[in-house]
Amino acid sequence: MSAIAKFQPRYRNDNAALALKEQAVLQPSSAEWVNALRLRAVASLNETGLPTQKLERWKYTNLPAKLKKMDLTYKDADITLSGMTDYAYSFPKGFSGFPSFAQEMIEQTPPSNEKYGDMMLWQAGNAYLKDGFIVDVPADTKRNSKAVKALEVTYTGHDGAQTSVRQIIRVAENAEFTLIEYQLGAGSYWNNVVTQIELGQGATFKHYRFQENSDAAVITQNTHVMMAGNAEYEAFTITTGANLSRNQVHVDINGEHSVARLNGVNMLDGKELADTTITVEHHAPHCRSFQNYRTVVDEIATSVFQGKIHVHKPAQKTDGYQMAKSLLLSGQATVNTKPELEIYADDVKCSHGATTGRLDDDALFYMQSRGIPEAQARNLLIEAFVNEVVEEVTHDDVKEQATHIISQWLHNLSSDDGEEAQWLE
Amino acid sequence: MIKIKNLHAEIDGTEILKGLNLTIGNGEVHAIMGPNGAGKSTLSYVLSGRDGYEVTDGTATLDGENILDMSPDERAAAGLFLAFQYPVEIPGVQMTTFLKTALNAVRKARGEDELDAIGLLKLMKGTCKKLGISDHMMKRAVNVGFSGGEKKRNEVLQMAMLEPKFAVLDETDSGLDIDALKIVADGVNALRAQDRSFLVITHYQRLLDYIKPDKVHVLAKGQIVKSGGPELALELEEKGYAEFAQEEAA
Repeated sequence: MSAIAKFQPRYRNDNAALALKEQAVLQPSSAEWVNALRLRAVASLNETGLPTQKLERWKYTNLPAKLKKMDLTYKDADITLSGMTDYAYSFPKGFSGFPSFAQEMIEQTPPSNEKYGDMMLWQAGNAYLKDGFIVDVPADTKRNSKAVKALEVTYTGHDGAQTSVRQIIRVAENAEFTLIEYQLGAGSYWNNVVTQIELGQGATFKHYRFQENSDAAVITQNTHVMMAGNAEYEAFTITTGANLSRNQVHVDINGEHSVARLNGVNMLDGKELADTTITVEHHAPHCRSFQNYRTVVDEIATSVFQGKIHVHKPAQKTDGYQMAKSLLLSGQATVNTKPELEIYADDVKCSHGATTGRLDDDALFYMQSRGIPEAQARNLLIEAFVNEVVEEVTHDDVKEQATHIISQWLHNLSSDDGEEAQWLE
Repeated sequence: MIKIKNLHAEIDGTEILKGLNLTIGNGEVHAIMGPNGAGKSTLSYVLSGRDGYEVTDGTATLDGENILDMSPDERAAAGLFLAFQYPVEIPGVQMTTFLKTALNAVRKARGEDELDAIGLLKLMKGTCKKLGISDHMMKRAVNVGFSGGEKKRNEVLQMAMLEPKFAVLDETDSGLDIDALKIVADGVNALRAQDRSFLVITHYQRLLDYIKPDKVHVLAKGQIVKSGGPELALELEEKGYAEFAQEEAA
């Protein structure tokens, strides 16, 4: 008996309409395979509904309840590509001349659905397949990642819009590429993103996300990374926005000597909920994976971190690391952390750690006794806490922008205190 | 000048200081000695404003201002400095950042110009040199991985940079070998000045061989029970604190 509850028909519910009510406007498309994919996805969603909290990996995040309170209409996604756009192009209208590798990737079964039966958002992405872009980096494309600009994608959310985006990325043998996603917007909207990344032998891909969505927005993301041997994937996500965000990442390491780094910083306040759910599947020996997250939660915000390292039998000499540290700044804030290791190989090194705490009173007093006012002392400590992860970013611009966002967040934290004090008087 | 009058303080409802009186003139060095549990560390925390120590009566004025009404950072700006018995490690906060933030906060509160990075670096290097402290400490996080001696030297360095009017040294000798003790004492002695007073809190007379006090007080059961010159420290070293314990018992 698996400890993980498989999808059961009794969980079926009628909430699929929350995602699908506008889907019909897309049909029919000019490409037959797209029509078929969408219809299969619609059927699947009608069967399963959207993920409810009865599902293991959705235990802490109630997406349907949130969507029920929103009044959304399907709209074209507002996507801007800039920077290093040489290898990137938007999906062609009506999918004419759509590259076959991208079609094959899109037609793949969602990762881990077999095991968990909870990939409904991926299906929702298929049901609305229309907006998106392809990045296809040819073999041996070498970049000096510090000097050469990254591809930048900006998603702008608009009030009342439901949008759906597909990102298809292929980095061929020994090529290097960097993608930076900026997510922002105003008002209440839902953007559902499915990203598929295929890294060839010796490929390097750096993937950065700035999640600064409006505090009324819902953002759901599924990212699937498939790595060949000697490949490197570096992800860093900084989350300061969205009312509800789900950042789900599934990494399949299929070749030897590959390295995956999945790092992030969450800084949450108000009623925000940020859910990070990561699964790293080690299928091949001699690979390393790192998950390193720092979360700061203020007011009545909620953080969810579910990280899993799954070492399959052939994956000897795996080095897996996972660390999730959280800092509670308020008595009403919530942190849910669930580290998981599932190991079938007998010669591996895997470690995980999770801490949840508040600021160190001794350190605060020490700093204050040196003349540093309390708010400033607190900010220095929070900065030090999140910098442990920011320091690991290997892209200087991204590091700088992240540092700026963090100091901005801390600045707002300090001015909120002032308001509160005034209000109390 | 520091004047402590009838100071009463408690922790969790237990009274620790029971009417403590002490006056330290400008430029003077006073030592407070006493048995364990007499309230020595409590005095240092009450003076510096640590949470959890409640003052129920009395005043403590620094040049006429009652510091007990101030937050810990305001006290620092007013000229109070506490050298900790156990300096706190702060992972991720670099010494330079820490010193710059502290110094500029204090300068700002005192109505002085803030220092830029270069000004700070110059001051820091100069101060390190003066105190015989290697400046490689500056490249590390505050007290993280510092040896016991390095931590105490770091306290002296911070004191030198913040230029307090009144410094409280809480059991600075604890955990130091004789060489480290000398270095720290030399640092403190270098900072002795006409307009700077010191209160040296210690359990042992040893430290007072290196930092010569003008006056020595005995703290027992939350009060100063005896005061005298440096010879009092030697007397205590010889006889121990039994006399005061007996008095209490009687």
